[in-house]
Amino acid sequence: MNRVITVLLLLFSVSAADAQANYDVSLISKDLLPYASAVIRDQSVYTEVKDGATFYRIKTAVTVLNKNGDDIAHIVVFYDKSNVIKNIKGTVYNEFGKLSRKFGEKDFEDESAVNNFSLYEDSRVKHFIPSIGSYPYTIEYEYELKSKQTLNIRDWKPNPQNGLAVEKSTYTFACRPDFGIRYKEINMPAKVITGSTKEGLKTYTWQVNNLKAIRSEPYSPMAETYLSTVKIAPKDFFYGGINGSFTNWNELGRWSYDKLLANRQTLPPETIQYIKTLTAGITDAKLKAKKIYEYMQNKTHYISIQVGIGGYQPFLASEVDRLNYGDCKGLVNYTRALLKAADIDSWYCVVDAGSMKASMLPDFASMNQFNHVILCLPLKNDTTFLECTSQKIPFGFLSDFTDDRTVLACTPEGGIVMHTPKYTATQNLQNRKANFTIAADGELSGDMTTLYQGTQYDNPEALIGEPLTEQVKTLQKMYANISNLAVEKLELKQDKKEIPLATETVVLNAYDFASKDNNKLYFALNPVNKQRGIKEVRNRVNPVYINRGYTDEDEITYTLPTGYHADMEPLNINLKKPFGSFSVKVLINGNKLVYKRRVEIIDGTYSKDKYTDLVEFYQTIADADSYNVTLVKN
Amino acid sequence: MNKTLFNLLVFICFTTICKAQDFPFGRFTVDEMNQKTYPLDTSAHAFVLQEFGATRIDASDDGIKTYFKYHVRIKILDSKAFDKGTVTLAFYDDADTHDDIIDIKGATTYMDDNGSVKVAQLDASKIFTTTENKYWKQKKFALPNIRSGCIIEYTYTKVLQGFYRFPSWEFQDDIPKAYSEYQVHIPAFWTYNAMIRGALKLTKSKSEVEHECFSSRGSKCDCSFLSYGMADIPAFITEDYMTSSKNFLSAVYFNLEEWTNPYTGVKNKVTKDWKDIDYNLKHSEYFGSQIKKDLLKNYIAPVIAGKTDEMAKAVAIYSYIQKTIKWNSMYSRGSDGVRKALDSHTGNIADINLALVAALNSAGIKTEAVLLSTRQNGLINRLYPVESEFDYIIAKANIGDQSYLLDATDPMLPFGMLPLKCLNDQGRVMSLDKPSYWIDLVATQKKNTTSNLDLTLQPNGKLKGTISTYYTGYDAYEKRKAIKKFNTVDEYIENLDEKLGKVKILKSEILNLDSLNSPLGEKLEVEIDVFGSMNHDRFSFNPMLFDRYVSNPFKLAERSYPVDWGMPSNKRYILNMHLPDGYVIESSPQAVSIGLPNRGGQYLTDFTREGNNFTYSNVIQFNKSIYFPEEYPYLKELYNKIIASEKADIVFTKKK
Repeated sequence: MNRVITVLLLLFSVSAADAQANYDVSLISKDLLPYASAVIRDQSVYTEVKDGATFYRIKTAVTVLNKNGDDIAHIVVFYDKSNVIKNIKGTVYNEFGKLSRKFGEKDFEDESAVNNFSLYEDSRVKHFIPSIGSYPYTIEYEYELKSKQTLNIRDWKPNPQNGLAVEKSTYTFACRPDFGIRYKEINMPAKVITGSTKEGLKTYTWQVNNLKAIRSEPYSPMAETYLSTVKIAPKDFFYGGINGSFTNWNELGRWSYDKLLANRQTLPPETIQYIKTLTAGITDAKLKAKKIYEYMQNKTHYISIQVGIGGYQPFLASEVDRLNYGDCKGLVNYTRALLKAADIDSWYCVVDAGSMKASMLPDFASMNQFNHVILCLPLKNDTTFLECTSQKIPFGFLSDFTDDRTVLACTPEGGIVMHTPKYTATQNLQNRKANFTIAADGELSGDMTTLYQGTQYDNPEALIGEPLTEQVKTLQKMYANISNLAVEKLELKQDKKEIPLATETVVLNAYDFASKDNNKLYFALNPVNKQRGIKEVRNRVNPVYINRGYTDEDEITYTLPTGYHADMEPLNINLKKPFGSFSVKVLINGNKLVYKRRVEIIDGTYSKDKYTDLVEFYQTIADADSYNVTLVKN
Repeated sequence: MNKTLFNLLVFICFTTICKAQDFPFGRFTVDEMNQKTYPLDTSAHAFVLQEFGATRIDASDDGIKTYFKYHVRIKILDSKAFDKGTVTLAFYDDADTHDDIIDIKGATTYMDDNGSVKVAQLDASKIFTTTENKYWKQKKFALPNIRSGCIIEYTYTKVLQGFYRFPSWEFQDDIPKAYSEYQVHIPAFWTYNAMIRGALKLTKSKSEVEHECFSSRGSKCDCSFLSYGMADIPAFITEDYMTSSKNFLSAVYFNLEEWTNPYTGVKNKVTKDWKDIDYNLKHSEYFGSQIKKDLLKNYIAPVIAGKTDEMAKAVAIYSYIQKTIKWNSMYSRGSDGVRKALDSHTGNIADINLALVAALNSAGIKTEAVLLSTRQNGLINRLYPVESEFDYIIAKANIGDQSYLLDATDPMLPFGMLPLKCLNDQGRVMSLDKPSYWIDLVATQKKNTTSNLDLTLQPNGKLKGTISTYYTGYDAYEKRKAIKKFNTVDEYIENLDEKLGKVKILKSEILNLDSLNSPLGEKLEVEIDVFGSMNHDRFSFNPMLFDRYVSNPFKLAERSYPVDWGMPSNKRYILNMHLPDGYVIESSPQAVSIGLPNRGGQYLTDFTREGNNFTYSNVIQFNKSIYFPEEYPYLKELYNKIIASEKADIVFTKKK
């Protein structure tokens, strides 16, 4: 421990020199002010690996320019049993850099940081809002954190949020010269500088200066792709009482398999027998697996519990079998065990779940790139992935939660990098056909059938399993532009295929749908699927990113009231762009008005100058969607 | 609302012993297991089969405690109600008060894979205790083996230190209940007031005497034993734009009125009259001591230096407190010290507004503190005073013959305006030198927006001109907050320009952004691309260029609870348009004039033309803060008419 103390003392003396730093707000370069609510004046993060633990020493001086920067000044430090905070303290300076007040640990509120949905986690938080009542002001604070493991070394992200500019920020990683690491620099303006301390520790140092505040731009790629980041992973590590070593995904997957997952699949003999009986007579392995998966879905439900080795180790399969609940790890491990009872092999796959398609870095293995677990069925000529935390999701369907991204399968042969299925713009289809009659008094009546496929399958999910009274409330919100919507009949069907399909049929009416004015009747041509325009962005920085493609098709046949005819300019638009296409057409034939609309959005990354086209594209759709039809008496 | 007051002393007579029982744990019937729906509400995903609660006051090794036993059986009909099987029980545990939850027991009765009925017990090692913060802890558990059709059951006892916090009982919840019963055993040493809230009727209400139910160190007494039962309780369904559901939920509440020390026989009156609360508050460290005259004289001397007019002083002090103390997001009706809050620049509601009261009084402006209950906290009972029902303090400054209600916790609020959360019935003015009294907490201002558009159609097909919008009252407050979300006004305008697709902002000006007591103005010089090109002979044009209503905010056929907006509103839109020579107006929207009953509001549109110019106006007015369920159909219909009217276009054609 002696050496750590000397290092810390050394740092203290450095910071003592820093204490004379001048935090006068007028010294901030004008270039850093646009879009900034706060400016990091100076931040240093010192990380040292030592005796099976990782020590962090973080010191930050940040100037808050206005009220919007208060959130940035809100000091929030998470900790738990294996991450311990020490020596947290700081100082507040006024606009001119004059000391205003000091604060220490006693000023911090200490609270549980457990998610509301979690049954158990030991995560806690200390937080404090320094304040002097006027803007701008500067806070300087520091703390130490000891993490009792060396597997996960925190990423360094010098400008982690929008509205924050950075004058200067440095990161130093120190370890014994024989402690092997790999590092990855992402969007770093400067490369690493290596050196050593007086005590003979090897150091790696990165520094950034004058980073402008990032402005939020719609249709931006994931922040990870454009923010500056340094990631570090150890070669040999110590975690939860276990030693390990890895330099690539294969080795990390092998360690996970051997140390975290092995020997946790034992099931009681009755359950094994039950599974054998359940699947007796089914020869096809995939059909067997489907039967078992559906059995698991009916029997269990998801509850978040973060215990075990840092939240990495699943509950025993026998435990989930007994309690009928578990978190994602527990449920995947349990499903694996059930499949094994029917002699079906499957792989435990870690993934970064969420609507944004976040893939792990192919060339940099580390443990902190995941937040969820799914199961892979490596059948012959067919790889099927299973989401095990939902009672309702179809077998083999991943939805927009884990689709189209790389995952790491942990197998006895080590980690295998795999890619989950992509649902294409054509597959993610919403197809609607409606037959509406408009009466002379403005009432709308008719029926409407909508198919929802692929990632759009979930669109009518809120209707499923609800009583009609609740379904009507939901439909009135889904079709909010049909005022006075009354539902005569609703039918729902779900076809739980791997590319699932839901069908919704509504028989409806709505009085005063068309409004009378001066012997004319007005009604909204497209009351069922309105697109809004998107915001323009001046001086855009980021490329245009469309995360997921889809297709919407709407066809409405209106029967017009007798004695009226439509008074309208012909509507016929056909737009084709690299990122999508739009067509709309109105045909009038006697007392029938047929409206056809099709929008296809194609996912991908497009150059930033395409953004103006995208704005125009959506505006064209929005304009066409807000078209009102005027009916005039013959 | 049906409020009933019981004075418990009345019930103490000499009758029989009654030991009503909790239902046995683990009992179920085959019928219950086979039940697929709840006949009284087929929309339910789960319902309570039986719910039982009992509270008793008893002596323990470390003082008098309140024991609350809870027991429930819930039938889970489908997977949407599985979350009922994950239970979180919060209890208070700080340096002085140690509550606890003991004797947790739980079980699930379910059909197993082979169709036979099984019972799974909750494992004691699967009950987790977490520390939320320095005041609150939680016990959490998930019942095992939850499946559609199962019955979950759990019971626990909450032990509360002392006898001041007598547990209340909510009969109504978000799922229906077949039967719910609450029993209380109150030794004669204690007297509580009981109050029943909500529209539902009790199906059982009994009061009896239990002999010598309390005995401690030789002191004995009888108890009043009360049971409240309710059968066939419907689920409580919330509606949009309603105030706290607490105001409408059926529940029974208890408040300590007086108690006799069982060992000394000394009688303690807790709260009986307002004058007791007045006295307590006046002499308390957290209230009376913080608003003593001259307490903040030194702080405010520079703030009011040179000012002679009372109003000018008051405004300066209000603004000083607003800027100096930042609200820490905590609600409170007591201060930890107003000087401390001023020095540390941070404080709770009471710190800030008691500092305001003290500061104004220090400047010689007669100011009182007002206790109130915020909207989310619910209405105050008006039968007898309970200090703990309040959760907020504001100031009432009396200047000349006017009084102003002030809240300095939000730096964007103008002098004399209360935030929506405070507009909740009445507040109690604590004046320290005379008896406290009630005051109405109503909005003194409306939501008010007036837009004037003056646009000329250019030969290139674009509209060019100005849009001037003035915001007053609550609209100005909201708009200022929206602008201040940006670092600068320029960034706000840039964002506005980007959002208003077809509108190009050529020049802009924001007026009175920081003069909170003046109307906020936004003047934009714009060019709008509405027609694309002028290569048409006929144009149709919707005069509502912005904020057109296309969907009705009210969708329910009928409502059970009032629509409570907090304040009246007024929205005016006036478009003046100038057409170039050579165009005639072929048709224009019909003028509309519709009112709500009892002058509750109106919708007016008008269209006039003069030569090449026309004017379209659109006015939406709501004159009341609250609309009762019987007024709801009119309100909904008014929105229908607005949507219908705003669809109508103006058509103009090129002269042939």
